[in-house]
Amino acid sequence: MSRPPLTALLWLPLLILPFYVDMFWLQAGLFVMAAAIGAIGLNLLTGSTGQLSMGHAFFLAVGAYGYVYFAGETSGHVTGLGLPAPVAAVLAVALSGLAGWAFSPIAGRVSGVYLAIASLALIFLGQHVLFNLESVTGGYNGRAVPPMKLFGFAFDDSSELIVAGVPFGGLERLWYLGIALLLAAMLFARGVLGARPGRAMNLVRDQRIAAAALGVPVGKVRAKAFTLSSMYAGLAGVLLALTFQRAVPDYFGMLLALDYLAMIVIGGLGSVGGAVAGAAFVTLLPQLLARYSGDLPLVAAPGADGISPAVAARYLYGAAVVAVVLFLPTGLSGLLSGRLPGLRRSATPMKEESPQ
Amino acid sequence: MSETPKSETPELVVEDVTVRFAGLVALDAVGFTVRPGTVHAVIGPNGAGKSTCFNVLSGVYRATSGSVRFGGRELTGLPPHRISELGIARTFQNLALSAALSVEDNLMLGRYRLTRAGIVASGLRLPRARREEARHLARVREIADFAGIAHRLKEPAGGLPYGDQKRVELARALCAEPRLLMLDEPVAGMNATERLEMAELIVAVRAGLGISIVLVEHDMGMVMRLADRVTVLDFGKRIADGTPGEVQEDPAVLRAYLGEEVS
Repeated sequence: MSRPPLTALLWLPLLILPFYVDMFWLQAGLFVMAAAIGAIGLNLLTGSTGQLSMGHAFFLAVGAYGYVYFAGETSGHVTGLGLPAPVAAVLAVALSGLAGWAFSPIAGRVSGVYLAIASLALIFLGQHVLFNLESVTGGYNGRAVPPMKLFGFAFDDSSELIVAGVPFGGLERLWYLGIALLLAAMLFARGVLGARPGRAMNLVRDQRIAAAALGVPVGKVRAKAFTLSSMYAGLAGVLLALTFQRAVPDYFGMLLALDYLAMIVIGGLGSVGGAVAGAAFVTLLPQLLARYSGDLPLVAAPGADGISPAVAARYLYGAAVVAVVLFLPTGLSGLLSGRLPGLRRSATPMKEESPQ
Repeated sequence: MSETPKSETPELVVEDVTVRFAGLVALDAVGFTVRPGTVHAVIGPNGAGKSTCFNVLSGVYRATSGSVRFGGRELTGLPPHRISELGIARTFQNLALSAALSVEDNLMLGRYRLTRAGIVASGLRLPRARREEARHLARVREIADFAGIAHRLKEPAGGLPYGDQKRVELARALCAEPRLLMLDEPVAGMNATERLEMAELIVAVRAGLGISIVLVEHDMGMVMRLADRVTVLDFGKRIADGTPGEVQEDPAVLRAYLGEEVS
């Protein structure tokens, strides 16, 4: 935020990446973008408003399946509305927001770790519905995701498109859509955080009573932050579904909710850039381990005996969470912006109670 | 600080306010009236019920019985953010700033009730949100200047020296353009110089803005110098009410503060 030219430079390589890297990296990158959007949303709630949610994966599922249902056609045992893809995407995000808003009687009243437990129930509810509402979700085997189509331009492999000698398939096209969505999500979040609603969210987190005394309706602010964060999750779910090309219920379980918490802790609570960095770390780690498992000690190839890449990745970022909590309270974002914990501590010497 | 036109400051009338926590009576039928534009001090030994009284006035605690009226509006039963909308602002005994936010952002929080920009307008950076922000930022800078913290605006509030943080608290309350300002021990924990500066600031607020001030304070010298009227509490009961001179002579007050001679 403070160094816009530098940040802009960081985006440039991303724009030319599809011309140089293979499918694996494009898909990994798109997962990072989707996760980053979701993590920004969770960070608005947890990092900035101080409300812990374990239900983020539920809202991702609402977004993903909402899109599939709105855009999909009725065929065989699944039904769909067959709406144009962009409309379906917007509706899916709105549906996630609606689900988050419906949860606001709880999200507005309950705080901190109590909200975490209450929102955990959403995961179980979500899993139950996803597995059993087969006509919408396709049940255990999931459901194919209709491709995005914007103004007649399809984001899939159906039509041939060659740009500068590089064939542009579905992933290459989605790449730019992902970048645009992530950029928009970041700018919007920074706009919110830097202005009146963001300040109110911060004060609700730090000094609830003072916030109320200044005219901030604490419950409403919490409920709105929850709704906003679930809309981010919904958008992340849509992008995720488009990248996966298949929505499967297993994916949206508790581990995913924990992944998102790990992202914002590792990245830095309350920071938009931190959420993106944390999302990249947590999302890329298992994929890199899987790809290079043959060359790494202790990590077995997928399917072989031993520690699988996915498990190894969980150990590693579990360790990363512990390390961040102990040594780097501001997360990766603090590391990048030079606000090292040591410096920061000496700059904030007092937090003692005032003597009577 | 340039004076903003303010609607007439009404009287604050506290009547028979009782607060019970389970079996403990924290306030027992306490009443007093804060006249418009005066400094009204509420004093008493530790545990007398001063902070409870403040918390009732600002809606943090709910009175078990009794009434608090501000210009015809009944305050008991209103949530804190509604009370703030009536033009009542307060500071906290223990600092209640957002330590991570800059001083400027903390002061802008004082403008919360006077501004409108919501999530959509702020997220999309709509012109009207930006204009509102700029307009109120200008006023915040004026108030920071008045409170002597203008040079600290960009620093995180948590990094400021204690005395300056207390000033930010006061400035934040002023940013809400209150008609009634409640100060909960504004000089607690300060050294002599800081106390003097804070007292000067409070005098300046009163002279410059003409708002009513309710002051809870332990520093008797400061109370006697600043207050127009003093209410003395002891064990949740009002034991005296009058001008500083009157309460200083009051035998009940002397007993409460100095203890009773056993004869």
